[in-house]
Amino acid sequence: MSSTETEPKHGGDLLQLENVTMRYGAIAALQDVSLGVAAGEVVALLGDNGAGKSTAIKIISGSVKPTSGRLVFEGIPREFESPRASKELGIEIVYQDLSICMNVDVVANFFMGRELVKRVLGVPVLREREMQRITEKVMADGGTKVKSVRQNAEHLSGGQRQAIELNRFVYWGGKLVVLDEPFAALGIEQVRRGLENIRRVRDQGLAVIIVTHNLHHAFQIADRLVVFRQGRLVLDKSTSDCTHETVSQAITGDGPPVQIQ
Amino acid sequence: MSLSDATRQTEPRAGSLRLVELFVDNIVWAILAITLLAFCLFIPGYGQTGIFLNIVEQSAFVGILSVGLSIAIISGQIDLSIESTMALAAMATAVLVSSSAAGFGWTPQPLWLVVPGSLLVALCVGLAVGSFNAFLVIRLKLNAFIATLGSYILFRGAVVALSGGKTVFGLPSPLRAVALSKVLGVPLLAWVTVAVFLAFTFILTKTPFGRYVYLVGGNPVAPFRAGIRVRSVSAAAFLLSAVLAAFAGWLLATRTSGATPNLGIGMLFEAFAAVVIGGVSLKGGEGKLSGVVAGVLLLSSIRTAVNLLMLQPHYTQMIQGGLVIAAMLLDSAKHSIRSRYL
Repeated sequence: MSSTETEPKHGGDLLQLENVTMRYGAIAALQDVSLGVAAGEVVALLGDNGAGKSTAIKIISGSVKPTSGRLVFEGIPREFESPRASKELGIEIVYQDLSICMNVDVVANFFMGRELVKRVLGVPVLREREMQRITEKVMADGGTKVKSVRQNAEHLSGGQRQAIELNRFVYWGGKLVVLDEPFAALGIEQVRRGLENIRRVRDQGLAVIIVTHNLHHAFQIADRLVVFRQGRLVLDKSTSDCTHETVSQAITGDGPPVQIQ
Repeated sequence: MSLSDATRQTEPRAGSLRLVELFVDNIVWAILAITLLAFCLFIPGYGQTGIFLNIVEQSAFVGILSVGLSIAIISGQIDLSIESTMALAAMATAVLVSSSAAGFGWTPQPLWLVVPGSLLVALCVGLAVGSFNAFLVIRLKLNAFIATLGSYILFRGAVVALSGGKTVFGLPSPLRAVALSKVLGVPLLAWVTVAVFLAFTFILTKTPFGRYVYLVGGNPVAPFRAGIRVRSVSAAAFLLSAVLAAFAGWLLATRTSGATPNLGIGMLFEAFAAVVIGGVSLKGGEGKLSGVVAGVLLLSSIRTAVNLLMLQPHYTQMIQGGLVIAAMLLDSAKHSIRSRYL
């Protein structure tokens, strides 16, 4: 399978990578990759280890700059100087538990870095009650049940923590969220809830990229499947046009199809 | 982990679990109350207002050191240099205003200016030491334990150098008044200590900066990703612990009417004991000043008991050492209770 199977891009893409190449010395981690993600769409990035998924995420997040090619976000070519720059535009990368402080409660996590304050004699004072009210409302609207938002995050399940991150992202006006192996450490029930969370985020018109090894999850949640192999984009199709076989073939190359579940 | 998932999710027990958590969080207060009660019952002359005021007053120096140390530890750092910072600030105060041996003998007109003047000098000493520590740990990325251990030795040496190895004594009366006056029958030192605790309890629990101290101590990656300036928070923690230590040193100088080259040796470990007993976790991100207060008072009341019983002072040391170990055991017991029931 040497040719790239792609379908024509639809207009109004939120994020576009255009002919992006990333070289680390002599090694090309990404070669001439073009990829678009629209608002209200879940795209699954698939591929073996070293296929280029992580590099693509690093470019989207602004952790690295591509050697050539460009990144267009909301129709404007962007050069992110740092992850903060991409974040300010509404791009969020969610790694497992990396953005959660276990030692503080849900409210403190939800408002991390954006605390509501009032001034008392010039001293900034946290508006705890207001923050609690908003957190409770957003978590409830997001369909996440927690016993109390005053509970420390360490007492929550992995799925609930992920829900905090997603709800937080939605609330603060995020536009594109990248979830890196979101279900790696979760049980079956929690995966189900996680998938639900992602659907809810998509239904609010936000774009979601999930990076996963698990074809099963990808087929369950993604509207489009994108496969990387050896730094090249080798498949980019609607999930409905794909079968497990074609996708696993794309992942592994010309080898025999891998049966998955 | 004997509980099944089913019992884990039964809601009615949440209330009693909250109580368990409340108790576990404040167990040091219970220990303090029981200890004080026992002392009052069994040690003749212990149960007097004068003794209690004395306990609070005696707690001033270790208490203020403990506040700074708590902030450093909660923020995920450690500051071993506080004791030497305190001594250096005390010595700087003494050298500035004392008219004895190595003293500079500063006598402004009017004389009360020595109070704000020497305080300013002491706090500047704290700022300098704190900046030095922050530079080593945050800019040069040295391990905080080793870097501040270095500062501990370095600045104790500076104390000796500054005084020429001699005791510097004899402070002007306005400074002595700081240590000796009473307000509403309570020593000024006790009021100051209470004020410091209240102020920093407020800062840690009610302000964004206090929140950041906990976030940075818990998982620095998360606040960094949330756009919080993690390095500034850590630097501020070092500055605060040093400035508070310097303030304690200034108070100590007024109290002892001068400074000796070995002033306050051993207070680091007392502060450490108080902080750990008070429930501040050495992992960072965990602990409350309310617990630390109890830890300080507990150590101070035990020392007072040892004095009243006219035991050898080394018993105090043994008891305090034992308490630190007990506090660590308590800490790990708390965590296993939490993970099992909460």
